[in-house]
Amino acid sequence: MGSKDKLFNLKLIFLNTTQYVIYVLYSLLAIPLATIYVMLKALFSARRSTHRRVRKLIGFWAMGISFITLPFVKVRYKSNEANSEIGACIYICNHRSFLDGFLVAHPCRRREVVQVVNVWPFKIPVIGVIAKVAGYLNVKAMPFNEFSSIAKSLIGNGVSIVSFPEGTRSKGKAMGSFHGSMFRIALEVGCPIVPICISGNEKVLLRGNVMMRPGEIKIHELPALEWNEYKDIAPFQLKIKVRNMIIRELTVMDGGV
Amino acid sequence: MDKQRIVEKVNQVFEESFEIEKNELAPEKKIFDDLGLDSLDIVDLVVALQQKFSIKIRDDERVRNIRSLKDIYDYITKLGEEGVLPKDGK
Repeated sequence: MGSKDKLFNLKLIFLNTTQYVIYVLYSLLAIPLATIYVMLKALFSARRSTHRRVRKLIGFWAMGISFITLPFVKVRYKSNEANSEIGACIYICNHRSFLDGFLVAHPCRRREVVQVVNVWPFKIPVIGVIAKVAGYLNVKAMPFNEFSSIAKSLIGNGVSIVSFPEGTRSKGKAMGSFHGSMFRIALEVGCPIVPICISGNEKVLLRGNVMMRPGEIKIHELPALEWNEYKDIAPFQLKIKVRNMIIRELTVMDGGV
Repeated sequence: MDKQRIVEKVNQVFEESFEIEKNELAPEKKIFDDLGLDSLDIVDLVVALQQKFSIKIRDDERVRNIRSLKDIYDYITKLGEEGVLPKDGK
């Protein structure tokens, strides 16, 4: 290893240490304050309002986490203004990095959202409890019928759902196959589907690594696919259609075209 | 029903129910990884195969072991040998 590489690695360790310390301090400050605020407000408001408040605050906290990475990692958003007109929707995102759960907070900031997550986020101390309170959906903890019924009820109440249908982080840039549960729910509920494409995240935080590297992450929000455009398509074709939309955009974002 | 006919009919199920192109339907293709079906699609696949071959396979434990297209061809062929497939071969 050359002296230039050693210097780079030292710089990386310093930057990461600083970054993680700031994350922890920020969370230690933000989470208790937000909890006190929610609990006080809950005394005088309905359960539904408390849910809405918790979900919004999780979004702000996640955006804060993304904001903290800014000096280190550039995050470029390309939102779709036309999507602000639509109601509750299902966000379908590709998944290359651990950061994605935080990164999607920005494109989803206008809405009350819950995420479909795996089992492990519920096991993280404090965060797991907050996720439960917010009604985040644990896709592996229930049969599809129950999951579908909860998801439909959320959308019916104006709550959007963020989903990573690959189920796990993809290995590199090639996108994994999609699970069709959210597409079946979309077809039944008749809500818009908004594809979100995230690129560059795989270089910033490598799979199985905690050390972040400087880089640029691009997040593109594609135009919503309205129910009228997909209502006659079978669930399998719908998931392939949305997957292809994301692949096409990612190819451009990754510099392939 | 001969093996060639079974292959054709299984492939028709994938083309008609899932709009998967004929040229993608090679025997070695894995149903989940290569063709992109998920656990919910498998339910649709079983229903489509039942209709196509006029059989009932929903409760057959062997369905759980199917991984590739070749596994489906072999499974349906086996059903033919067991006399489960209708003789008219429709």
